[in-house]
Amino acid sequence: MKNLGFATRAIHESGTRKDAIRPLRFPVFAGVAFDFESAEAMADCFFGRNLDFAYSRISNPTVDLFEKRMTALEDGFASVAVSSGMAAISITLHNLVNAGDNIVAGSSLFGGTYSLLTNVLAPLGVRTRFVPIDDPQAIEAAIDERTRAVFLETISNPSILVPDFEAMSAIAKAKNVPLIADSTVTTPYLFNAARFGVNIVVHSTTKYISGGATSMGGVIVDLGNFDWSSIPSLQRYHRFNEQAFVARLRKEVYRETGSCLSPHDAYLQTLGLETLPLRMEKICRNAQAIAEFLTTQQSAAGVSYSGLASSPYHDLAARQFNGLHGGVLSLRLRDRERAFRFLNGLTLIKRATNLGDNKTLAMHPASTIFAGITEQEMNSLGVDDGLVRISAGIEETDDLIDDIREALKGL
Amino acid sequence: MKVRINGKEEEISGDPTIEGLLACRNVESPNMVSLELNGAILKRSEFEERKVHEGDVVEFLYFMGGGSG
Repeated sequence: MKNLGFATRAIHESGTRKDAIRPLRFPVFAGVAFDFESAEAMADCFFGRNLDFAYSRISNPTVDLFEKRMTALEDGFASVAVSSGMAAISITLHNLVNAGDNIVAGSSLFGGTYSLLTNVLAPLGVRTRFVPIDDPQAIEAAIDERTRAVFLETISNPSILVPDFEAMSAIAKAKNVPLIADSTVTTPYLFNAARFGVNIVVHSTTKYISGGATSMGGVIVDLGNFDWSSIPSLQRYHRFNEQAFVARLRKEVYRETGSCLSPHDAYLQTLGLETLPLRMEKICRNAQAIAEFLTTQQSAAGVSYSGLASSPYHDLAARQFNGLHGGVLSLRLRDRERAFRFLNGLTLIKRATNLGDNKTLAMHPASTIFAGITEQEMNSLGVDDGLVRISAGIEETDDLIDDIREALKGL
Repeated sequence: MKVRINGKEEEISGDPTIEGLLACRNVESPNMVSLELNGAILKRSEFEERKVHEGDVVEFLYFMGGGSG
């Protein structure tokens, strides 16, 4: 179905088995285990000789549909759906590293990802080298013979920086290191990762894909464009050639970490995908309008959003992200006290830590997501006490602007 | 000719390529199957040219869905 447009594939892509009832809305298969007609059939299933289902921690028909649809929308090779965005990042990296290996990552990252790299993987002997995403030479210099992945966010959260993926993928390819992109804030509707040389794309599907924060989830998509024979952690799977990454993921890391997506949540997320194009268009229009309004306000010390013509990332983001700029923007006020007063002055916009909801949300990253790290680390991640993150929803634009205008009064 | 497919001896006609074998056996999700021929996993680029011969041992293996191998 690759010749069909994105919105059509988001609704019609199937690939699942037809059943006798033929429901238009694929059902929730909530059961844990599946029956077999014989012991031989069960053994064949566990051997991998067919696509029958055995146990929902390993695979499930409702989850399978969501994975197939994500693979189609990413123009990918194979997907593995997991329980959250952090699970997607965590098990992707665990799949690629052994103790003593290293990861090269952009220096502006989501707080949870930064904590995973520094507090979880580093004590296991896997160090991360953080490099500025605007400096391809620094990234090139940071890669050595033990580097197993370059990890970048498509739009760094919450500092709103945009890497040049053509340049980054050229470097990673020359060094024979897979490039992983966290495309949570761009979704496959804005960013066709394969076209820009990315090898693995991960999403927190909790955000936009779930249909507006309906459920937790994540997904890993292998775009089928990397030769895994150079990755030692996949050594026992090299014989499976292009399937090596997915084979180890499925047989070991995904399965044994128990990071499975629940069938109920897979149902909600498949449903969410169907309206993704409609919601992303409206969300991006609202974010653009909010950003433009904020630039007219004297109390705003700065506004970060690539949709603004003044943004250093404006042309790059437009080229990479389907002419759109996403739903997340950052507002800089002078200090924490003003940031809190602004947040407390909002009446329609909700104070919440999520993004990608149908409701517009705002938060203070320094006192929440980044509260557990030092001020120096926070600053290196592009976060300070005056920073407010706004995630645009799908409300009427004028209502959002009115709420922000009122909250800014007196700052 | 006789070929052992997924642990069972089977009679197949002609001398099909791997791609032909996948098609004639109506193998589910052929884009997701790994094919082991006489103990070695083939690259997908080999499916179109590589032929099946008398006595070959063929395994279709999946890592997506099912018991996932």
